[in-house]
Amino acid sequence: MNSKDPVMGRPRKTVRIPSSPFGGIFVKLLLIVLTIIFLMPLYWMVSGSFKLQSITMSVPPEFFPAKPTLANWTKLLNGSWPIWNWLRNSVLVSLLTCLFVVSISSMAGFAFGTKKFPGDKILFFALLATMFLPPQVMFIPLFLWVRTLHLTDTLAGVYFAMALPMIASPFGIFLVKQFAGGIPRSIIEAATIDGASERQIFLKIALPLLAPSLATLAIFTFNASWNNFMWQSILSSERVNFTIPVGVSYIARTPAFGKSVADIGLMMAGGTFGAFFMVLFFILFQRYFVKGITSGSVKE
Amino acid sequence: MKKRLNRISRGSLSAYVYIAPGYFAFLALILGPLAYSVYLSFFNASFNLEARTFLGLGQYLGLADDLVFLKALMNTFKYVLIVVPSAIVLSLAIALIIEKFGPRLQGLFRGAFYLPTVAGGVILSIVWIWIFNPTYGLFNYFLGWFGIQPVLWLADSSTSFMSVCVVMLTYTIGQPIILFLAGLAGIPQDILDAATVDGVNGWQRIFLIKVPCIRPVMLFVLATLTIQIFQSWETVFMLTQGGPNNSSTSLVFLIYQTAFISAKVGKAAAIGVILTVIIMIVTLLQIRMWKEKI
Repeated sequence: MNSKDPVMGRPRKTVRIPSSPFGGIFVKLLLIVLTIIFLMPLYWMVSGSFKLQSITMSVPPEFFPAKPTLANWTKLLNGSWPIWNWLRNSVLVSLLTCLFVVSISSMAGFAFGTKKFPGDKILFFALLATMFLPPQVMFIPLFLWVRTLHLTDTLAGVYFAMALPMIASPFGIFLVKQFAGGIPRSIIEAATIDGASERQIFLKIALPLLAPSLATLAIFTFNASWNNFMWQSILSSERVNFTIPVGVSYIARTPAFGKSVADIGLMMAGGTFGAFFMVLFFILFQRYFVKGITSGSVKE
Repeated sequence: MKKRLNRISRGSLSAYVYIAPGYFAFLALILGPLAYSVYLSFFNASFNLEARTFLGLGQYLGLADDLVFLKALMNTFKYVLIVVPSAIVLSLAIALIIEKFGPRLQGLFRGAFYLPTVAGGVILSIVWIWIFNPTYGLFNYFLGWFGIQPVLWLADSSTSFMSVCVVMLTYTIGQPIILFLAGLAGIPQDILDAATVDGVNGWQRIFLIKVPCIRPVMLFVLATLTIQIFQSWETVFMLTQGGPNNSSTSLVFLIYQTAFISAKVGKAAAIGVILTVIIMIVTLLQIRMWKEKI
């Protein structure tokens, strides 16, 4: 807080900022407890992946694996589950989705953000209005079309089909439009006078300026596509075609030991494997996540 | 002059070219399927569409008597009414606490609470299946410290719904915290200074100054969370499959079950249309109520 009076420029009488009810030691303790509660499941999963089945079912539970074992991880990685296929499928589907969303949104967002044309407001509003539609409603017709076109007969077709519902991204167009609107008109006008074509303005001027927001969009889309569990599980018929969430949920729902008992250690190893990539992705790109989340709503 | 005019009209023509791929995707993958869903909702149809029979509004009238549908409808509203306010209160409180920290520490906590969201509902549900286990789960163990008898959580129709709520809550607060922090950081310092000079106390500072200042963010959080919980599915799918006795089912889970397990495509489409209308009405109401208050 500034100690000078903003108007008179002389030192002001000290005014005490009231102590916030959210500042005390009790509150800090509460925060730590909350953090532990919210992170506990993740800790429990990772540590559980290093426990023997007998330990995972012990009462009282063992909070730190006293004798950590790699048994669950060897079970997961020994080839009985095609997890590397799942990883490849998830990565390729998400990349394909990104490719479509980023190229389509950058073009449309550029046009909506920098140009005036008849119908621009209505066309943009129509897009925005569909942002809250539940995607599950579109899944039934899309599934029928995917079946009619026999898209799932080839692996490339499966990837395309899995990316399909996310390709239309009103959010992406909205996001790029916000940033394209911030490109100074003078830059575009100067380029036009210099004889730059529309395409050159888009490729050479707009795209480089939009690069940070496109990166945000790409990272966001990648994450959303990775977790597009319902659509992916509808399309997955064979184990090799699963994506990571579908495969991991499949492991979790497959009874082990020939009876209805779940193999908890294996479930936790699968869960840890599934969470690992997105968590890593998040840690690497946290800045972009925050930007993507806030750019839709918080304006200066 | 003529050349310049020409350039302008060519400019707006090219605008249509630039939005064409986006609009094509929009029509083919959003509006088209939506319209087709509405059409399908009037038929008694399986995935073999040739054998469909026309029901008309009979489909919707049938749903009005369908006890499972009504249960799912009720539950979905209950999920929204329980999880959304809890998530908002919790995330606002956490944001207000960590708002005062330095950028480093703030980023650390922000990231910690966002981690469950990143891991996703499927992964978290897998752990919670274990945590909720009646005999060797962590939850009953902790409650045992307070002398509470083991509860069946997921397998008991009186607790399954709340159990699913708990898991939903664990991965919905990450995003609101980030939004609230950004909103709080954007409050102009002179407003806070003026409040200090006026002798506003701590609680007043929060509820009379800060919260009203981040109104737009609140509305955004409220609307997006509501839409998100209205569509919740994966926790139900992973934890309870809607059971026992449909006690934890939700509309989207019912759509999935009806279409892709029971192959009643027309009925599932009708449920989807109803969900769409509900979300539309609730979102518009929220926006209107919020505007009137200002």
